[in-house]
Amino acid sequence: MLKLQQKTTQTMLALHGWGAVIFGLLLYWVILTGTIAVFADDINDWASPLPAAIPETLPLGTDAMLRKAAADVAPEYLDELTVFATAGGRIRAFFHTHAEAVDGEHPEEEGVLFVFDPASGDILQRFEGTQSEIEAQSHYGKLGHFLVEWHVQLHVPSPWGLMLTGILGMSLLVACVSGFAMHRHLIKDAFLRRRRGGDVLSHKDAHVMASTWNLPFAFILAFTGSFYSLAGAFAIPAIAMVAFGGDQVKLIETVQGLPPAEDRRPAEMANIDTMLEDVRAAGHRTRFLTVDHWGRQDARISVFPWQAEGELLPKGYAFDAQTGENLGEKPALGQSPSLGSDLVALMGPLHFGNFAGWLSKTVWFALGFAGAYVCISGLALWVKRREQQKTWQYLLRATLWSAWGLPLALVAAAAAYLLQQAGVLAGAVEPLMFKAFGLCLALSGILAGIVRRVTGVRRILVISLGLGLCALVALRLLLGGPGWVSAATGGLTAVVVLDVALLLGGAWLLRREWRQTQALPEGSLIDTGDMEVNTP
Amino acid sequence: MAGTRTEKIWRFVLAGPLVLLATLIIMAGSSLWLPAGQAQVNNFVIPVVLLPAIWAVLFFYSVLDRLGRASVVIIILTAVHAALIAQHLLQAQQ
Repeated sequence: MLKLQQKTTQTMLALHGWGAVIFGLLLYWVILTGTIAVFADDINDWASPLPAAIPETLPLGTDAMLRKAAADVAPEYLDELTVFATAGGRIRAFFHTHAEAVDGEHPEEEGVLFVFDPASGDILQRFEGTQSEIEAQSHYGKLGHFLVEWHVQLHVPSPWGLMLTGILGMSLLVACVSGFAMHRHLIKDAFLRRRRGGDVLSHKDAHVMASTWNLPFAFILAFTGSFYSLAGAFAIPAIAMVAFGGDQVKLIETVQGLPPAEDRRPAEMANIDTMLEDVRAAGHRTRFLTVDHWGRQDARISVFPWQAEGELLPKGYAFDAQTGENLGEKPALGQSPSLGSDLVALMGPLHFGNFAGWLSKTVWFALGFAGAYVCISGLALWVKRREQQKTWQYLLRATLWSAWGLPLALVAAAAAYLLQQAGVLAGAVEPLMFKAFGLCLALSGILAGIVRRVTGVRRILVISLGLGLCALVALRLLLGGPGWVSAATGGLTAVVVLDVALLLGGAWLLRREWRQTQALPEGSLIDTGDMEVNTP
Repeated sequence: MAGTRTEKIWRFVLAGPLVLLATLIIMAGSSLWLPAGQAQVNNFVIPVVLLPAIWAVLFFYSVLDRLGRASVVIIILTAVHAALIAQHLLQAQQ
């Protein structure tokens, strides 16, 4: 039990409440999209699967595909190469250089993007131009990217979006610390749940219970999330300016090491498949690789795998590009192991929950979902305590709109992706997803504003979301996506699991709504609906 | 957080923009006195990783302590780190 002075408790309560009122809705957006984005790769696999699962990321044959592509690009684009897996296990290889502007800046990467089918080795897509031009045309992986961008910077351009999410992360940090300090009985609060027919106490119990269990996780997410946002937005540029006097080359040399002396003479590249096998032999699943100066004497190759079983920190391996010799592990930062490098490496698994495959991702998803629920239940509690003040009912309507309108708009964006992929909708995929998302959000916002009874707002939005989740599965099947039998026989786990999850989620929402409709007295005006934390 | 209107406004300014500015300056200035370690990265990586913690400590201190004392402590911490940064940048220019 924490013993605080009354004045301190009041300050904490004010910080907790007003922080939530000011930042709560946007925080919910960031948390919910981040929670779903835990499965961004799986969502991409679900939306754009190949006929059969690709057992390994960057499987045998990657070397041949990269050589074929390297022979088909302008020499300047061999400067750098990044190779990732994208939707369905396809391989995405981006040969590029950093186009120098007249003023000496590095405005944008420019090159050629290849998308390969790793099963056949065929080039599925080829785009050439600056990175933004390429990204505007490419399709695979955009659904997951759309989710991730909401989470990372709310689709606001850098650095403003990062600053915004950084501030939201810090507000979550304040909510965690103030919430923890206010808990008078930490253990009791974790189990206490009084059911008294929707009064303030039962709302408070449910909010406190969920937030108590979620507290350590929310704190970790707030800390790591703030780090990612603020580091990219201004911390790294600021510290580079001070510690290195603005000397970017010196900073890069300290972090990445001195580059080998420039040697532009042509050289035969060693077999990349052998390097990938070498990494797999150490117990890793390969994740991505980079190549500097393809086909030159000064070429460098690095392979970055997922953590092996029992490992928390990710690592990378350097290879000799001519002999294929494994040169050993690369620290995340610097040229030798360090506390700073380990701390940075630790941020990733703690934030993304990607250190133990589906198991850790499922735990992160569940805890993230609980965090989103805490946001919404906290706002509902705030309104419940001010039930007689009509002004706060607008906040309740906005809360309902966010709580159900946001996932509904994400469903609409996913539908737009599927329709564009099938050729039903013409045009670039991202603008189409934005239109569908914006339209759905606007409609649900209008609905939240004009429907007379708050109960009605929630009812319509929940039913729409339930139906939307089920319809998404039907749409995927209707547009020619693999059926459940062929998906199961082809090893397309993500397709089967996400289809089932969407159907179960939709059915659960519809059943829950039906049961609540049965339970509610006619004419209930101030009903917080699913915001009501004491509903079964 | 009781007090006069002026105190409330100053508390808001201190806990909001001033603490943010102080966090940035303390983080950047810390890179000049923290040990770099064998890999020569600790001095500038650790302050960036601890940025949310630096902000949180300063923020809660600014809202929970007496206004005058909190203001003085935060301003001194910021001024010391700002002076360190200025000295370092001036030396680098010479």
